[in-house]
Parts: sequence; structure tokens; C-alpha cells
Amino acid sequence: MTSEKTLRHIFLECLVITCLASFLLCITLSPCSAYDLKEKVKEFTLKNGLKVLIVERHASPTVSLYISHDTGAVDEGDGHTGTAHILEHMMFKGTETIGTKNFEEENRILQKIHDMGNALDTELMKRKSADVQKTESLRKQLEILQRKAGEWSIPSEIDRLYTEKGGGDLNAFTGQDLTSYHVSLPSNRIELWARIESDRMLNPVFREFYSERKVVMEERKQTVESNPGRKLMEQFLAAAFMVHPYRRPVLGWAPDMRFLNIDYTKEFFRTYYSPNNTTIAIVGDVSSDRTMKIIKHYFGRIPSQEIPVRCPTEEPPQNGERRVKLISDASPRLIIGYHKPTLPSFDDCVFDVIDTILSGGRTSRLFKALVEKGIAVGVNTANGFPGARYPNLFVVFAEPVSPHTCKELEEIIYKELDILKKEPVKPEELEKAKNQLKADILRHISTNSGLAGMLSYYGAVAGSWQYITKFPDLLERVTPEDVISAAKKYLEPRNRTVAELVREK
Amino acid sequence: MKRYIAYTIVFIVLLSSCAWHSTSVTDPDDIVYAPLRFEPPKAQRVKLENGIILYMLEDHEIPLVNISAVIRMGSFYDPPGKEGLAEITGTVMRTGGTKSMTGNQIDEELDFIAGKIAVSVGTNSCTLSMSVLEKDINKGLQIFSDILTSPVFSEEKLETAKILEIEALERISDNPQKIAFREFRRLMYHGDPRGRLSSVESIQKIERDDLLKFYKRFFRPGNVMIALSGDIEEKDAVIKIRNSLGKWDIPGGPEKLPPPPARVGASLNYIYKSTPQSVIIIGHSAPGKKSPDYYVFEILDFITGSGGFRSHIFAEVRNRLGLAYSAGSFYSPRTKYGIFGAYAMAKGSSTVEALSAITKILDNVRDRGVESGVELAWAKESIINNFIFSFARPSQIVMGQMMLEFDGLPDNFLTNYKDNIEMAGLDDLRHVAARYLSGESRIVLVLGNKEKFNKPLSSFGNFHMEKNGTENQEN
Repeated sequence: MTSEKTLRHIFLECLVITCLASFLLCITLSPCSAYDLKEKVKEFTLKNGLKVLIVERHASPTVSLYISHDTGAVDEGDGHTGTAHILEHMMFKGTETIGTKNFEEENRILQKIHDMGNALDTELMKRKSADVQKTESLRKQLEILQRKAGEWSIPSEIDRLYTEKGGGDLNAFTGQDLTSYHVSLPSNRIELWARIESDRMLNPVFREFYSERKVVMEERKQTVESNPGRKLMEQFLAAAFMVHPYRRPVLGWAPDMRFLNIDYTKEFFRTYYSPNNTTIAIVGDVSSDRTMKIIKHYFGRIPSQEIPVRCPTEEPPQNGERRVKLISDASPRLIIGYHKPTLPSFDDCVFDVIDTILSGGRTSRLFKALVEKGIAVGVNTANGFPGARYPNLFVVFAEPVSPHTCKELEEIIYKELDILKKEPVKPEELEKAKNQLKADILRHISTNSGLAGMLSYYGAVAGSWQYITKFPDLLERVTPEDVISAAKKYLEPRNRTVAELVREK
Repeated sequence: MKRYIAYTIVFIVLLSSCAWHSTSVTDPDDIVYAPLRFEPPKAQRVKLENGIILYMLEDHEIPLVNISAVIRMGSFYDPPGKEGLAEITGTVMRTGGTKSMTGNQIDEELDFIAGKIAVSVGTNSCTLSMSVLEKDINKGLQIFSDILTSPVFSEEKLETAKILEIEALERISDNPQKIAFREFRRLMYHGDPRGRLSSVESIQKIERDDLLKFYKRFFRPGNVMIALSGDIEEKDAVIKIRNSLGKWDIPGGPEKLPPPPARVGASLNYIYKSTPQSVIIIGHSAPGKKSPDYYVFEILDFITGSGGFRSHIFAEVRNRLGLAYSAGSFYSPRTKYGIFGAYAMAKGSSTVEALSAITKILDNVRDRGVESGVELAWAKESIINNFIFSFARPSQIVMGQMMLEFDGLPDNFLTNYKDNIEMAGLDDLRHVAARYLSGESRIVLVLGNKEKFNKPLSSFGNFHMEKNGTENQEN
């Protein structure tokens, strides 16, 4: 009912639905801490380029383990949207030594499935001119082969191994910038984790690709097509970004997903899941010496790869408001976004402060102007949408209380944004925002998984986890004048995209 | 040269550890682990003179203090026709001010110190929780105890709360899963206050006087338990709690709560909603935590649908058939009763196939139990090994220990948990499955657009209920 910051989960797709998928929240929860991370984080780099961050915490014999690959949906080629995400699902299908009764036998059939699947897709891509008999025959053969392969495979072995040894929160997340794999384990089981994870970075086997493709399409039906807020979000991003890949949904566009391709997925894996493109973060009851011995043994054998220079089409400046409407039989809602630079730009930090001034807590400006007055059922803002590796958006979300309209909300929101441009924020209000940013981080890193998630996130996206320790100084530097100038520069109508859901039965 | 170096390293590794060799890695099932020894710290329990029971555990990792007061109050006690009263009382307790501060003053003070106070209201309990920086504990506690002991429920904040709650109810029709799970609750608790849900009309009828009466009925020291953890010394914490809440003096002990009446009969229920994906839920009554069947049922639920990818429903409906992204089961045990549900969200044309697959799995478990000892051993090992996570953080430990007393469960409930899981055998599973998963007490609910179903839902029997889910949720 209140403006909880749940909307920020929107751009994360995960293996299984869970409420624990919160670490990428730190895209907007900026780092800062009275807790001295500098002293606690031990940092290592293996010869193959793999970065490892370890924090020892001995409250209970548990440990949280994150592996983050510096890649996501943003690295997909056009026509291949959804690849990063289906790859994340495929990584749970086992390896050459996990999940098989006899890999040689199995692999022979997998090769055939692979060829048959590609042939079927090629035929189906002809759409209306596709040969119906041929597709039916291919489909049947594919089914038979899949059944045969099933005789050699042992399904869900990775999950079985972790679950049996007490693993919890087993999940993976694909975002625009980053793909992460997470599990919490009793702390004596680290070697199991290293054995499984290093093996799937080295020898994953993409079993059940075609049935998993159906699963991700169901995921899309569940989380997007049955969800008016998510549908609106897709339209919004596609309008706000004309050319940059941030315009595309992480799950993929449905027509692309039908033809998600196993070869392309494998290539994507080979290119981006290399150790020199990966950060591991471990927080819990471990000894860093012993843990590093295990990590070197298992992960050290993975060769590094050359990562291609990534240079997605830059988004040209927006010179005029863009508006989108989504017609749906659902209650109205509104999304407004403004282009802005990303971290480590100082302006990004200023937007963290603006974010908090506008929607952090019950005394924030938009909460008071909209929710407290019973005009909106919820309002929220997010800095760093939908990713943080490239210039991104500052976004406002709001849902009107009937009979108020999105138009009324827009007017009130613009009035508040104008005040930011004209009147210096009072010192108490600025201090309040800074206090909140600091405390939010403390709460976030109070759990092992929260801290591990944050370390691996900044390790990958900001280039170094130390961005976290530098942030307090950056934050302290933000003045009322900085807020005015950032607001003036970015929160202007010509830099704005507005998406509105309009009810129509 | 490179290869040479690699061999040298292999040689050294072999010398230093026989378990590790590089040509082939260890079979994951053969890894040997050091034993895990852990005696979870015990929270300190103090009963204040006025009857408040306090559990505490120090945790100096992060300079934060967390406090939760749990009160025996909840939607179970909503008066008929005013469903939602407990929820609104909780909301306005937090927003509507106290005898010494207005709601807005409280918000200002809290936001400035970055403290968070929230009220959440469930069926049987209400939790007032606070998180503050250690340096602000005095300020925080003063506000916290004021909200607990002297809320004034301002008329203006009540009006806002009602407006927002009504809008939130109206918006439920946008969310197929929410519609379905609300309806499921109503069906499972038919004839019991737990099955009554708030509606626009019931919220509209709520007045300030109702809140005052409701508050007065439940809020007294003898009906409150407090869990405290964080960066504070125990004896300091007792002094502070005593100073802020010790003078609160209203007679009366803990509130009593009857369990729901036994539910009888099976039913097939359908809600129309034009949505690309159907929501399927199948429910059974299940044992409570005090029942001797509790541990066996935990295992049963794990194997059937909550134990990850290997559990039957997930393996069949998602992995083998590819019919759904979300599919599985859940078991919510209370002290004296519980609910078990199996679910899947599948596209319209797969609805009946997914429903058949799940019912087949449930029937199979009911008629044959779990066939292999290997599967039972896997489930037991998994549950036992994961149990350590109930004690992962001091805040969890203190809350867990307090809730045992709150729920009237024995002190050794957690310490004996592993042994009780360990004792379950294949026969126990068969008996318990047969007892609870009978087709004669099965509630089936399907939400979706039946025109898209490739087989008629009526092949599952006659509809007990059919309704339109795009209309507002009436009670």
C-alpha cells in the first residue's frame, strides 16, 4: 500500500520466483557504510583473471556465495533477445560429469537433437510458407530423440546436490548488465560449490533446451503478459531508448523467444562466462586461506578468454517528450523517465540523493504530495534504470487512486520536480536523505547474502567493489546546488518519456 | 613450457592433498566434509513486572538494533461486516499519531534518524517492528513504545488509510494470482473467520470508534511478546525496555484463538478471467505443528512439490512437460492446523493437462506413498542439512525462540526437530499421505479463460462455484 521499493525488481529475471531476489536493488541503493568494509574485504585475482572477494563472518556456520558474470541481456544481438536469460536456465542442466549416466552416449543423441531442433526452427521461420508435413515430422523426431536423451540423463542433479547438502536460496538472476548465480550453504560445504560451479563454467551441457524454451515462454506469460505493470514497463523502455539495447526486455521479445537458438546461446556462454569476466563474492563462516586454496584448485583450471570490446549503439540525446499508451483492462498507472549518466559520474550520486528526497520514506516529497493525500495508491522512484553499465534513466512510477487520473499525477509530479530545480534543498532535508542512504546500506549488508550480492555487483558493474567504500565521500560532497543543477540539466520535459496505462474493456 | 608448468603444479597438488587431482575432478557425491558443530546461542528471556515477555540476543556485527513486538490480534477477530478492521487498525496505529506526537511528527523524527517502524497484521498475530541505528535507540524506543501503548488513531489518517486500502482492493482484479489465492483462502476456510476477506463495502463501514475498541481489546502487556537483537548489551536493553514500557499497566493475559472447524467435502471451482495464463491451485487440510504427523508431512510436502527441481510437481510439470514456469507445493502449518496446496501457472491451452498432471502426482503419493527409500533419504538429508539456516542470524534465533513460546510449542521443538525428521519411515509417509490427501476433501480452483482450455474443465467433475474474476471482489 505504501511506496515500498518493490518496483525496482522489475528488470530482473530469475530462475525461480522468490522474494529473496533483492541484491540487484543496489543499483539504486547506493553504497555507503559506517561499517568498515575496507578492513574486512579480502581481494584476490587468479592467474586466469577471476576476481574473488571474501568477507569472514562467524555468527553461524553458514556462507553465502555469489558468482557474477559481467554480462546480461544488453550483450545480445538483435533478434536474439532472451539469450542471456535462457543461458542462465541452461546452466542448471548439468555438466559432462554431473547429470549423466554416460556422457558419450548421451552426447551423441544431444548432437542429433541439436541438429533436429535447428532444422525445425529453420522450417518454422518460413512462417506461412513452412512445410506443415515436414515440421510435424521433425517435431515428432525431436520428441523421440528427447525421450532417448532422457534415458541417459539424470535431471536436476545440480539442484539435488545442493539441496541435499543443505543449500538454500539456490537461484540465479539475469539483468541487463549482469548475470548472477547464488547459493547459501552450511560453511563446511564450500568444496561442493567450487566443484559444481567451476565445472559448469568449464563444461556445461545444455540438456532439455527445447523444453526449457517452453518454460521461459511460460515465464513471460506469467510475469509479463499477465501483469499490466510489466507490460507497461516494456512499452516504456522501448520508447525511452530508441537504439540502445536497454530498450529490450531481459526475458526477450516473444517472437525472438520462439526461436532462441542453441548455437547462439553456446557462443554467448563461451564469450562472456570466462573467468576474466567474472567476480566471486563469499561472505560467511569461512577461512579465506582455505577457501582460496579450494578456489584456485577448481576455478584455476578454467582458461581465460579474450572478451570482445563491447560497444552497443549509443543512445542519441532525446530532443522532445515521448509518450506511449498501453490499452488494457486494468487500473491506470504511470511511468515517467529521464535520461541521465551512470556511475561513477558524480551526477549519478546526486540522483541517489534526489531519489531519496522524492520517495525515501513517508516524509519524502512525492509520498506526501500523492499518497498522504489519497491521490495515489503508490509512488516510487528509481535511479539507474534498467541497468548501470551504460547511461540510464531516473524513473518515477505512480498509480492513481480512482477517480484521480494519471494526468493529475503527472501535474503534481512535475510541480515537485520544478521545485527541485528552483529551491535549494534545506540542509536538514539533505542530511535526512544522506542518513537514509547510509542506513539502507547497513540494513542491506547485515545479511551475508546482501553483502555478497553487493560486492559481486559492484565488483562487476562498477569495475571494483571499492566503489562502495568511496561512495560515502561522494555522498558527503553533494550540496543543495548540485541537486538544483542536476535537476535542471536532466529533469526537463524534452528529456522525458511518459508511459500510461489506460483502461479499456 | 606452459604444459610443463601445469604438470609441475599437478605434482605439487597431488603431494599436498590426495583428494585433489587435476585430470579428473572428484565426484561431487564423494567429497568429504569436515563435521559441522554448532550450538546456537540461547536468547535471554525476561518477564517484565507488567507481563511483557522479552527475548534478547546481542549481535555486534552491524550498528543496528531490531525490535519486534508480536501481539495476539489479527484478521481472525474482524467483526462480521467489517472485515479489514485488524489491518486498518495496524496501519493507523503507525500513521495516526500518539498522545505525545502527531503522525507527521513521528514520520519526520523517524525519517531523520533513518529509523523504520512498520506494522504488519496477519490472521492470528500483529507485529510492530523497528530497525534503528544503535546510536538512536533511545529516540526510536520512545516512538516505538508510544505507538504500542498510546496511539490516538487520528480521523484524517484513518480516511487516508481507507482510501488507499479500497484502491488496493480494486487493483486486485489486475493480478490473476492474487485473485486466485484470495479465493483459495476463502474456500479452504469456509465457515471460519479466517475465510472472510475484506471488501470495498466492509472497509467503507469501518469508523474510528471501531479502531479504538479493537485496540483496547488486544493491546495489553500480557498479550505482547518482544524480540530484540542487535548492537546493544543485554542488560542495557532490559533497562531501556523497562524504562519505556514498564509503566504500561493493563490487566489481562494472552488472547485465546480457536482452530478452524474441520473442513469436509471436495469441490471444483472456476473463476473466469481473460488472461493468457491460468492459475491452478489444489488444496488439502494438513496437520499443525503440534500434530504427530507434522514432521512426516514436512517431508511429504518437500518430496511432492517444495523440495526444488527434484520434487515431483516441479520435475514433471516444469522440467519434463515444460507446461509452467511456476509449479510446486506449499505447506503452511500453524500450531493446531495447517494448509497444503499444490499449484501451477500454465497457458490456457495447457490448463487441463497441468491440472491432470498435478492431481495424478497427488493421487500417486496418496495411494502408494513414496516408493523409494532413496528419495526419502534425500528429502530427510536435505531438510536436516538446511536446518542450520533457521539459526543463521541472531535476529532469526531470537525471533524463532520467542515464537515457540508464542505458539505454545515446547522449548525443545527446534532442538528435537532433526531427530523427529530422521525418525520418519516409508510407512509413516504412506499413512500420512493417505490421511490428508484424500480426493474426498480436495479443493480444486482454476482461474483462467475456459474457452482457451483444450479440454473442458468439467471433465474433472461438477462445478461447485463459478464466478467472474474481472469484477470487483465481493465478499
